Amino acid sequence: MPNFFQGGGRGQQPVEPAPAKYMWPEKDKATLLTTDVKRLDGPDKVAGRARYTYDINRPGMLYGKIVRSPHAHARIVSIDSSAAAKAPGVKAVMNVKEPGAEVMYQGDPVVALAADNEEHAWDAMRLVDVKYDTLPHVATVEQSMAPDAPQAFSGGNTKQGNAEENGTPEDGFKQAAHVVEATYATHVITHNCLETHGTACEWDGDKLTAWVSTQAVHGTKDGFARGLNIPAANVRVITQYMGGGFGSKFGPDSQGIICAKLAKQANAPVKLMLDRKEEHLDTGNRPSATAHIRAGVTSDGKLCAYDAQSWGTGGNSQTSNFPLPYIYNFPNRRRVHKDVYINAGNQRAMRAPGHPQGCFCTEILMDELADRVKMDPVAFRIKNLPDKAPNAMWGEYFEIGAKAFGWEKRHPTGDPTPGPIKNGYGCSAHRWGGGGSGTRAHVDIAADGSVVVKCGTQDLGTGTRTIVALVAAETLGLPVSAIHPEIGDTEYPQSGGSGGSTTAASVSPAIRVTCGKALDALAEKVGPALGVDPTTLVASNGRIQVKDNPSKGMAWKDACKLLGTTPISVDGQWMGGLSSTGTSGVQFSEVDVDMETGIVRIKRILTVQDCGLIIDKLLTESQTYGGIVGSISFALYEDRILDRVTGQMVNPNMEFYMMSGPSDVPKIDIMLMDRPDQRSRGVIGIGEPPTVSTAAAIANAVRNATGVTIRSLPLTPAKILQAIEQEKAGGTL
Amino acid sequence: MAPKDDPEKPERFSVTRRSFLKTAGLSSLAAGVTGVAEAEAQTAGARVVGPGDVPVTLTVNGRRVDLRIEPRVTLLDALRTRADLTGNKRVCDRGTCGACTMIVDGRAVYSCSTLAIESQGKQIRTVEGLSTGANLHPVQQAFCDADALMCGFCTPGFVMASVALHEKHPNPTLEQIKRGLDGNICRCGTFTRIIEANQKVRGVARA
Amino acid sequence: MKAFAYVNPTNEKDAVGALGTERGKFLPLAGGQDLLARMKDYVAQPDRLVNVKGALDATIAATPDGGLKIGAAVRIADLAEHAQVARLYPAIAKAAGEVGTPQIRNQGTVGGNINQRPRCWYFRNEEFLCYKKGGNRCFAPAGENQFHAIFGNGPTHIVHPSSVAVPAVAYGAKFRLVSPRGERIVDASEYFTMPTLQNVQSENVLAPDELFTHIILPAPGNVKTGHYEVRYKQSHDWPIAFATVVLTMNGSNIGSARVVMGAVAPVPWRAQAAEQALAGKPIDERSAAAAAEAALQGARPMSQNGYKVQVAKTAVKRAVLQAGGIRTV
Repeated sequence: MPNFFQGGGRGQQPVEPAPAKYMWPEKDKATLLTTDVKRLDGPDKVAGRARYTYDINRPGMLYGKIVRSPHAHARIVSIDSSAAAKAPGVKAVMNVKEPGAEVMYQGDPVVALAADNEEHAWDAMRLVDVKYDTLPHVATVEQSMAPDAPQAFSGGNTKQGNAEENGTPEDGFKQAAHVVEATYATHVITHNCLETHGTACEWDGDKLTAWVSTQAVHGTKDGFARGLNIPAANVRVITQYMGGGFGSKFGPDSQGIICAKLAKQANAPVKLMLDRKEEHLDTGNRPSATAHIRAGVTSDGKLCAYDAQSWGTGGNSQTSNFPLPYIYNFPNRRRVHKDVYINAGNQRAMRAPGHPQGCFCTEILMDELADRVKMDPVAFRIKNLPDKAPNAMWGEYFEIGAKAFGWEKRHPTGDPTPGPIKNGYGCSAHRWGGGGSGTRAHVDIAADGSVVVKCGTQDLGTGTRTIVALVAAETLGLPVSAIHPEIGDTEYPQSGGSGGSTTAASVSPAIRVTCGKALDALAEKVGPALGVDPTTLVASNGRIQVKDNPSKGMAWKDACKLLGTTPISVDGQWMGGLSSTGTSGVQFSEVDVDMETGIVRIKRILTVQDCGLIIDKLLTESQTYGGIVGSISFALYEDRILDRVTGQMVNPNMEFYMMSGPSDVPKIDIMLMDRPDQRSRGVIGIGEPPTVSTAAAIANAVRNATGVTIRSLPLTPAKILQAIEQEKAGGTL
Repeated sequence: MAPKDDPEKPERFSVTRRSFLKTAGLSSLAAGVTGVAEAEAQTAGARVVGPGDVPVTLTVNGRRVDLRIEPRVTLLDALRTRADLTGNKRVCDRGTCGACTMIVDGRAVYSCSTLAIESQGKQIRTVEGLSTGANLHPVQQAFCDADALMCGFCTPGFVMASVALHEKHPNPTLEQIKRGLDGNICRCGTFTRIIEANQKVRGVARA
Repeated sequence: MKAFAYVNPTNEKDAVGALGTERGKFLPLAGGQDLLARMKDYVAQPDRLVNVKGALDATIAATPDGGLKIGAAVRIADLAEHAQVARLYPAIAKAAGEVGTPQIRNQGTVGGNINQRPRCWYFRNEEFLCYKKGGNRCFAPAGENQFHAIFGNGPTHIVHPSSVAVPAVAYGAKFRLVSPRGERIVDASEYFTMPTLQNVQSENVLAPDELFTHIILPAPGNVKTGHYEVRYKQSHDWPIAFATVVLTMNGSNIGSARVVMGAVAPVPWRAQAAEQALAGKPIDERSAAAAAEAALQGARPMSQNGYKVQVAKTAVKRAVLQAGGIRTV
């Protein structure tokens, strides 16, 4: 699985830049780029015609289910699935683990079966008799780190990282006029994709077709090949539509391999979709983060020292590391991170991995330090930013955003207005990588003028399908409706997984180049027909014509007729010069807090965000709304709660695993930086940046409103009321 | 290496007059497949059916659908897995997220928390029944125009909840829109545009 | 869920006749919004479901004494929008209107709302074999109890989940129950039971072969009503705490009060100390605050739910002020 961890994006190797003629047009020359182009698959989705993996119904299809460990930590003593194998409708049963194996978390797969319908499969699951010896477990980070903790992991309960250092903190603290020392924390949340993980597998001899809910068709194909020990050429993965991934769907996972094996055993297609509880337990999560930080600031508001110990859990064997400190210049800094294991499902990349944690653990501290030196929080941040650069624009964005937000109306910490409702403003900053490379594409232009663009990428709701058509249309001078994009199938050329906000920057240059090459091939036919040099021809407005001389040209359909019986069939791939990496953005939040109930109501969010060249403004805005809403849920509502005694999840559902609904979403204002300095950077990517810093802005707004500092998420009424009580008693400010 | 059938054209459950007559004949046989409990309940005057397969007849989008399913099969699962009506989705399966929302006798309901067997004799509308060919229902069109969707998995549920809302309040206020949609969740976070779409819907008659 | 036989009686007698005496074996199916989810999690495994929606009264009718009789099969959405209910018992209409979501209100019934089982996550997860499922412990005290009760002393610590039950108790409702032994009328305030080791597998006095058929409300009299619910999420959430206050006025002062809190105890919690604190007082900030303090006397918060005390106080205070037409926030 790709590591999208520290800042995302694939580094760009020195690669051949695309020919000048393939470069993106200037804004005044572009017809479709950066406009609002409606999502091509909108009609199919609203009409219920779109077929997701969950909707696949194949002739003779069986339903697969997995029996999982109910215990946080146990050894399997025996497995008796004989009754299940004989149960009505059951066609295949297999052990996923064998007696003697250890299960490390509630939800660890143990046995799998397939039956002719789900009811029979559920009944058969109840007949599988697994006997366990429970083993000592740890359910929380505190339990795992305690000196007398049971040793639940063979390599030890914790893993200490190396110190990251710069300068000399001790000297830095000598310069400090004020020091803040506190602990900040964020919690574990799950991806909770609406379409659960799963697959439908069908064998034809030794060839496997798998419909998978995945964000990486090619990567998943390779995963099946490895997991089943078969040639990759024998695997086809199809994902025309998928119901959300957020970083958790990059391969077949255990359920995919199990499904393929059940289908082999039963000699019938099998669909195995996880249920909501399994989705929470065993498909990844965002690791927790706790940071004990000591930071110093000079009397004139310059950050001068930083010393942090951080830790967190990524489950029973994965890391929880995250960038810290985040964004601002802390000279003289030291930071050490420790991974703590608990008996719970492992983490997986979750929308901007590491950044929401690093941002939260830094941004509250920034407001506390600003108060120490009696500076406005925005001015304080601007004073401590890294040098301005195309991927480091916070100084300017803070000014733009503050003005648009009405930041000057902000009162100092603690709303003085009488009454139980307190109002507050907060801000935050974020960055992300994006960028991309490596995608290949294929374009067919037929004599009837039809254009088919094939690319083995996938559309998670990100709009990839539309982007492919848009870039092709822009390049070929056609309306979007003239393009047939074909994606979501490993029969189409290689493209990477949709993670790290790399898809747009990986796919659109490939489409641009490949369509450019196809156009060149068409021009080779049109040139002689017009009696002009083919290199003088451009595609514009449905015509192929000499640049700036429409009379020397012909309509697209007439140009394609020249192809006769030899359609254009062109392969191409990503090239440099059309994309880059590094985005920056800032967010502002206004909240009301009811001091008598601890309830937070968000009134407004505003973001200033860049992402290089915007391909489709409508889709880019939707991504931005979505990222912000996700961060609101992170700030206030969702929480993966394990029972601290048994280590079992108490809320593996969508009732008490709470997420924002329609009435919880505030006014959201988006200021996308569509400007020449950003356009010139090419396509970068927008999927993750907007979700990084909203929670921090909300927390700072809560602090500004209430006058008390809450340093951990989620911002529950319990926490807020407790902080208010403590403040009355002795103070948390 | 292509699969045997085009996945975009799977088997469709077809309703024929023959199947109607067949199941009408079978319904009297159903009494024979129940157990002891049925004999007890017969004396109380109400017939017990199941737990095995029983004939269940549903009216879906104006068409008759004849099934043989166990009483425990939900309306959602019956339509998704036995009638290949996969537009509405199974997401939480506990009546908390709205992805399964259908309109039954004019009201938005969670079809995952409704049994198929108790839905007999009712008018069931799924998302598939809203549009014909390329003609989208005004709510569907509004969603497309406002880009009120991303991955689309919550969308059929939101569309049905929105249709039910507009059929009850043809010109809903912002408050009515939020309240009317509060039974639906979107993980991609498209609420802002879903609300905008609902504010722009025109041409839905009160039901 | 486990397979079950199904029966759809058309009258009360047949519905009662289709139930049995063994708890949990034959269960009534009303809106299904609670029961089907429990069955999918194997927390309920009945052999038979009795669909009572066609057998029980689905009407709301005036009673000769100026009250209302509400059938158990009335949908929550219809209860919330019923003009007479809103006029005579506004707290019931309000509570019904804040139940769940539109879909839940469309399917859910009055009988189902009153008799639904707790939301406690230990109860609803099969892995935890707690008292209510025949086990020998409650997991809340040592575990995650942020949503559990602040009144009562065990053996279980659930909060009663019904929104409609609280104003029903506040308005002095009675419930009509029917069984093979005939009909009985039980005061709402006596219907719900504080847990003991003997009764712990149920939250009320309803027998397994008994059906809840009606809420019978007395004429409201000259009362001022307030109903205030505190929820974290606005879209779809269970209340953290809520309160119904019904004030019988004596001139401009309160003659007598009924103060009932929800989501704080295994039963709708009558706060008699708050009622006494209000008697003889005008409706103002001071009396509301005093009532709120008194209402939470005797609260025994658990390790994670102390915040509920403050939230419940706020709910009582704001319900009182609302009854007096005084702006709360």
